[in-house]
Amino acid sequence: MSTATINNPADTSGKTRWERAVPVYGFPVVNRTFIVLVGMTLLAFLLTAYRELAGLGPVSGMNDAYGWGIWKTFNVMVLTALGSGAFAVGIAAWVFRRKRLHALMRMALLTSFLAYACGLLLLGIDAGRPWNFYWIVFPWRWNFHSPLAEVAICMSIYAMIPLAVENIPPVLERLWYFDSRLRPGVERLERGLHKFFPWIIAAAYLLPGMHQSSLGALMLLAGERVHPLWQTPWLPLLYLGAATFMSFGCVAGTTMLCCVVWKRAMDMEVLDEAARITSWLIFGWLGFRLLDILFRGALGTAFHFDRFAGVFWLEMFTVAMGGWMLRRSLRTHETRYMFLGYVLSSLGGMVYRFSPTTLAFRPNPESLYFPSAIEVLVSLGFICMGIAGFLLIVKRFGILPAPLQEWHDMASYFRFRRPYIRWTGYFKYGYFGDNEETESD
Amino acid sequence: MDITRRELISTIAKTGVPAAVAVSVGAPSLHAETENIPVPSAAVGLLYDASICIGCKACVSACAEANDTPADTRSDALHQAPNDLNDLTRNIIKLYKPEDGSISSFVKRQCMQCLDPACAAGCPFQALHKDPETGIVGWTAEQCIGCRYCTITCPYHVPRFQWQGYNPRVTKCELCSTRLEKGLRPGCTTVCPTGAVIFGPRTVLLDEAHQRIRKNPGRYYQERVYGERDNGGTQCLYLSRVPFEKLGLPELGVESVPAKTLRWQRRLYQYFALPALLYVGLVQVIRKSLKGHEHEAHEREKETGLRAQL
Repeated sequence: MSTATINNPADTSGKTRWERAVPVYGFPVVNRTFIVLVGMTLLAFLLTAYRELAGLGPVSGMNDAYGWGIWKTFNVMVLTALGSGAFAVGIAAWVFRRKRLHALMRMALLTSFLAYACGLLLLGIDAGRPWNFYWIVFPWRWNFHSPLAEVAICMSIYAMIPLAVENIPPVLERLWYFDSRLRPGVERLERGLHKFFPWIIAAAYLLPGMHQSSLGALMLLAGERVHPLWQTPWLPLLYLGAATFMSFGCVAGTTMLCCVVWKRAMDMEVLDEAARITSWLIFGWLGFRLLDILFRGALGTAFHFDRFAGVFWLEMFTVAMGGWMLRRSLRTHETRYMFLGYVLSSLGGMVYRFSPTTLAFRPNPESLYFPSAIEVLVSLGFICMGIAGFLLIVKRFGILPAPLQEWHDMASYFRFRRPYIRWTGYFKYGYFGDNEETESD
Repeated sequence: MDITRRELISTIAKTGVPAAVAVSVGAPSLHAETENIPVPSAAVGLLYDASICIGCKACVSACAEANDTPADTRSDALHQAPNDLNDLTRNIIKLYKPEDGSISSFVKRQCMQCLDPACAAGCPFQALHKDPETGIVGWTAEQCIGCRYCTITCPYHVPRFQWQGYNPRVTKCELCSTRLEKGLRPGCTTVCPTGAVIFGPRTVLLDEAHQRIRKNPGRYYQERVYGERDNGGTQCLYLSRVPFEKLGLPELGVESVPAKTLRWQRRLYQYFALPALLYVGLVQVIRKSLKGHEHEAHEREKETGLRAQL
């Protein structure tokens, strides 16, 4: 931060505005955390190979009663909800024109892509006969009325086409800065991309809307084996609602955390806007959930002294507490309450998304499911892969939002402080914006 | 340029009105579909009378033999004594024996061959498929991705997944469909010493069941054939002296599980009309947003001299 004061006097108005996505510079990619994360990922790959040979029984705690383990119920059901940022933040920014939220869009797109990639990979590992996935390209084999077909098809199409395409601009931008000889080509690509953008963005909202609700519809067919506090015809809508506030929490919370870790200024206007939307989403969701339980007459079961009631109140309490903390942070402008609010509401949402398939699923009284060590390690390993990917990408591409000043600081940093760095690319044939004239080619 | 009230209304109109239209157009055609579940023309099934079953388990070993499955001796490495349906067991005899000494009953469990099977409704690539003629719900290895959704959806908890090995399969009674093609009867019905389980066309079995109820008034629970209407109707029918629920046959109502639970899901995705209309509406809204956003970004580019980030 000394570079900022040295090269360009900081903005003295006291107001930070996120105006530009700037790579996290000055921090090495490979550090102790990164090595641990990569190690966990490699371990997960090894265990996956073992799983493919040995079958699901020896590696997991799944059994005839609990046919689905944490790979599906946590990594797919829960993590893709956290990764719906591209959907929820995107709709707020593009459809409802909350323009300030555009600052968070790149973070939302990246976290979504990584969460979905992790989820899809585990969906493939969890499938007993994954080689038959090739039917996905033959629509006449699809079972159009199956929620699981909807999830599998829609999720893979979404992650591979609209979400991937939405993530291309930072890559093109890096190429553009990397070498001036690439610029005409990159610009041509960008023009082509922008022509299709409305269709791609619209698909990026329609498809997650469909499969995030279908994830809820999955458990409708299980009928009364899901506890009445969770089993409702509105399960798809509640799943979608939980995904919206959880993903807002994930995107804004992760951005705040990054700002703290890498000492970046926070734009309180953007964060307040996000917190306001999240808090209303939370209270709307909570209200809808309680009304639904009330009208179905299931409220009585919430006062039985059993694990279901415990999970229910834990979930309700954490979500409501998170919502209350967000409101409080809006009043008193204390960022720690905002961060805690995001964390708590997302945790509560995670409990909710996890419950119908596992915690509140009662196939028969004798059976129990607890994930085996290998299951947990694989699940964690793929999460670590996502985190490692995130750490790598935010340090190499312009993802994290920052004040304009940060961009100039970055330029100075690489020119004067660490001139020996060539591999960052951005500055090889430097165009820093403020010295376009100095370019020779 | 925050969204104005006028714009909000038009946004909702652009996306919501097509949605409402699609729902109202799609709804009537769907209504007819869920009302009556068609019975396949040559529907065959089993009639199991729990009151005359002696629990000899001859059908269990006959089933394994008929399906070329090794006997499941995993419990003590000696006897074929699985305690539930599993990856080697398509058919099993269980005993319901209440502690108060009231009437006990054996029960034979196997696939019910539902008229509207929940397993096939959930199966993503139609690996579980109801034969349009015989109505037998069969499993095709080439289309199964091993997602185990069938083990979650089946209200009778019948399909079982093979947990060992790299090439697992889903095991469920397919009513010995390969034997039927050769003109043979299902394995379990060939060995039953008391005729507790018989095979035949569903209509014949239903007549037989009603005849037994008429001949023995007061013998059967609720004087009812389980599967005639339960869960939308099944092709395997049950008679019992004890409540069906005690035998693991839940009271699901006359509507089938998929019809009951996926009604809205099916309505919303009817002909894919609603998503398509919603998509067009979204494109319109986003096109306008994108234009505004690009304009502002380029204005900003001129101000700051830094390349616009979209």
